[in-house]
Amino acid sequence: MKLRALLTQPATLGLLLAVASGVLLSEWFFAQAQDELLAERQERAVVMQAMALADQVAAVEAAAPDSSAPRLAALSRAWSARFSDIVAIRVVRSADAQFLASTDPRDVAPLPRQLAREEKPLYDLGQELRANVETNAAEGVFRKKQIDVARLDRTRLRVAVPYAVGGQVLGFVQVEQRVAAPALPPATGRVAVAIAAPIALFLLAAAAAWRRGRTAPPGRPWAQFGVALLLLGAALYGEARDGLAELGARHERFAVELAQQYTAAKREFESATQALAVKAVTDNRWDVDDYQRPRAIIGADGSVDRIALADELGARATRVTRGLWGNAALSVLVLGFVAFGYARRLRLTLVEHKIAYRYVAPAILGMLVLVFFPFIYGVTLSFTDTTLFNENLPLRELWVGLKNYIVILGDFQVIRGTEGGWVVNYQNFYWTLFITIAWTVCNVTIGVSLGLLLALALNTKGLRFTNVYRVLLILPWAIPNYITALTWRGMFHKQYGVINQVIQMFGGEPVSWFDGVFTSFLTGIATNGWLSFPFMMVITLGGLQSIPQDAYEAARVEGASRWQQFRHITLPYLRPTLIPAIIISVVWTFNMFNIIYLVSGGEPAGSNEILITQAYKIAFEKYQYGYAAAYSVVIFMILLVYGVFQNRVTRATEAIA
Amino acid sequence: MKHVTAGQRRHVALHLALVAFTLLAIYPILWVFTLAFSGGQSLVVVDLPSEPGFVDRLRSVLPWPKTVSLKNFADVLIDEPFGRWLLNSAIVAGATTVLGVFLACTAAYAFSRFRFPGRRTGMMMFLVSQMFPGTLMMVPLFIIIVKWLHLGNTYAGLVIVYAVTAIPFCVWMLKGYFDTIPIEIEESAIMDGATPAMIFFRIILPLAKPAVAVTALFSFMTGWNEFILASIFMEEEVSYTAPVGLRFFVGGFSSQWGYFAAGSIIVSLPVVALFYYLQKYLIAGLTAGGVKG
Repeated sequence: MKLRALLTQPATLGLLLAVASGVLLSEWFFAQAQDELLAERQERAVVMQAMALADQVAAVEAAAPDSSAPRLAALSRAWSARFSDIVAIRVVRSADAQFLASTDPRDVAPLPRQLAREEKPLYDLGQELRANVETNAAEGVFRKKQIDVARLDRTRLRVAVPYAVGGQVLGFVQVEQRVAAPALPPATGRVAVAIAAPIALFLLAAAAAWRRGRTAPPGRPWAQFGVALLLLGAALYGEARDGLAELGARHERFAVELAQQYTAAKREFESATQALAVKAVTDNRWDVDDYQRPRAIIGADGSVDRIALADELGARATRVTRGLWGNAALSVLVLGFVAFGYARRLRLTLVEHKIAYRYVAPAILGMLVLVFFPFIYGVTLSFTDTTLFNENLPLRELWVGLKNYIVILGDFQVIRGTEGGWVVNYQNFYWTLFITIAWTVCNVTIGVSLGLLLALALNTKGLRFTNVYRVLLILPWAIPNYITALTWRGMFHKQYGVINQVIQMFGGEPVSWFDGVFTSFLTGIATNGWLSFPFMMVITLGGLQSIPQDAYEAARVEGASRWQQFRHITLPYLRPTLIPAIIISVVWTFNMFNIIYLVSGGEPAGSNEILITQAYKIAFEKYQYGYAAAYSVVIFMILLVYGVFQNRVTRATEAIA
Repeated sequence: MKHVTAGQRRHVALHLALVAFTLLAIYPILWVFTLAFSGGQSLVVVDLPSEPGFVDRLRSVLPWPKTVSLKNFADVLIDEPFGRWLLNSAIVAGATTVLGVFLACTAAYAFSRFRFPGRRTGMMMFLVSQMFPGTLMMVPLFIIIVKWLHLGNTYAGLVIVYAVTAIPFCVWMLKGYFDTIPIEIEESAIMDGATPAMIFFRIILPLAKPAVAVTALFSFMTGWNEFILASIFMEEEVSYTAPVGLRFFVGGFSSQWGYFAAGSIIVSLPVVALFYYLQKYLIAGLTAGGVKG
């Protein structure tokens, strides 16, 4: 009874969840780090072998380029006999597509020979490595990998390194080697203790407090939280210390092992190259990273540089520690959430409104994953300079803060004077904003006036065939707007378009519509006006039919003119219908991507882009994802401000109506 | 003779104006039909002489082909991969409709009938999400759908994105409609021992048929007409949707206007038919959703 009361109090549960999640996540972090360490050590060993071989191959090739093959074959055989982990060695001179040597029995003898058609991947690999080395050398930076590392499966690694003679990359050496599969002993015992010990201690403390008559379960939440927090901290600290110590020990052991392997490779190298005039190995240039930069941890004599090793370990530990801090913060959140009863309350709410939540769950889940998460991701992108070319880098490295926004909003150089007169910078945000506003205002004005006019005409009393007109006039709205846009693009064609034919019919000159800023703007207006008037017409017709007829009769008796009737009866009655319709069509037009994108495409020179098409072009034609995201966030802000304003207006009209 | 009143005579001028405007308004459509039935790929229906006069020009703008031929329709459906694209679109739009209606109906029902914590927040979030610019979402959506979920070039990827993006509008509209259904109907059903699921499927959904129909139309149109995301997600030519395909005919450097026109007619017919069938509900829904939006 007593035990149950202790066990079910929120703080116990919270501690259990927090410690369990914290410890298990730490274990996972460390397992990842260990795997990574092992993989790196294995790669380094194979790269070292391949580099040593490449040096020999280069020496042989330099000595006798035309008759190198037999010596290379002997060299490969000797090398793979000496190091039993090596599965196969291949030497390819990709410069003239020669397959020089191989210890892999699957490769069709006799060697050397021209590379076969199905061996094209080998040729491509050689070309790629050569191109990468040359790019790095030309640019003076390390951007392209100079070593190809492939993990064929859990126990086989294949590494290719280029070899160069006289500064020219001629081909590459490929070494395939067996490596130990990553197998870490599961630390179940340690994990169980790390989880159980804090719980046991906590229960003991709680029981002691209860016995001394201070507090009975559920107890004082803050005191319990404090104790639980201490225990959680201790558990996580212990985990982190053990894990880091283990990582460090392994790191050092690997360095020693690598140093031994280096010494062995060096001895073999020296005995194999005695006959050749190769300068003695005075520094370790075989233990390199993917860009062939020496790591400078193992010296030429096989000694380990302790300081460099500590630096390397430090960098690795920092990375792990950062993850561990996040993990700790998460655990504390879990603890607090459960210990203070929020979890219980959340559970009760969920149970109480079970049916409602079950109904909304699918939609909410979908919205979270495919609308709100992308939105947050997009906003995050807007603070980076992500482009197509660096999108694989972590966002942290691309962070630029508010720079994108400052570039977009802070550039007021819309017009600048040059010798030839004033020049408008069409890429400027404020120019595009100006075009967008002009576009929206023109379109809504045209849509509303045409719609109103047609609705009034169709509403004439006693007019026949109104249904026919109505059905035909709605058609532009019913047709998918991208089809409309493409059709109008055809009609504005300079040479064959119908509109220029009509102009020529009356003796005019054909207009090249998309070459002028203003004419291009007109094409968009015409197209959008054509497809937007039916909506306004239909809405207005609905509004007109709800106006009571006696209002007009009374006005007529008073002798009001038709204009006065329109001004003082029709318009006021239409207000509550028209204003929401105008508000919504402003948003539609503001974001009317299809028309601009498909009709004029923003021509000429991007002068007719509206904000939304400009953002699209920045993202998918210039591939500046970060900048485009910032641009889109600005659009969102404009719409949000408009939304708040619109809400006010709507409320005001509702109050009047 | 029929008696013609002064009023009707006055309407003659009005009729003339209306006929003129209507002809102008449907001219682009007639022109598309002309190109489709012309059997050729050119933007002009007749060859102009080297020194065309007024009559030649007039003939060239009259929406009537020189020869009437069904060749473009046959070519588009049989020789070109357009039939395949149409099928893709039909599958995507159909699945979007089913999924979209399901997601929207359940959520709208809960928002309309239950009072639960998070209800107001949820509705507000749906509204705000309508203002998210599409360009902001494209890159993240590409990363999620293509890179993480590996749903590029699949129907499923497009369907879930379309269905989910249609949710906010559909939920707001359906909720408005559900609100008008008197709660007494459900109360008496509960008295008779109906479960919540039975009430939802047997009573509410049948009563809300018009609104459900509009939701279906809207979801269908989303899936049928969208082309930006489709062109980003679907990289292989066989998995294009019809809108992407239509742009393929006349975008860039190709100008197969006959195929485009024939394809457009085929693509538009179902949407236009549905639109006329459901227009009065659509307008009601737009204004109801719009006012609160």
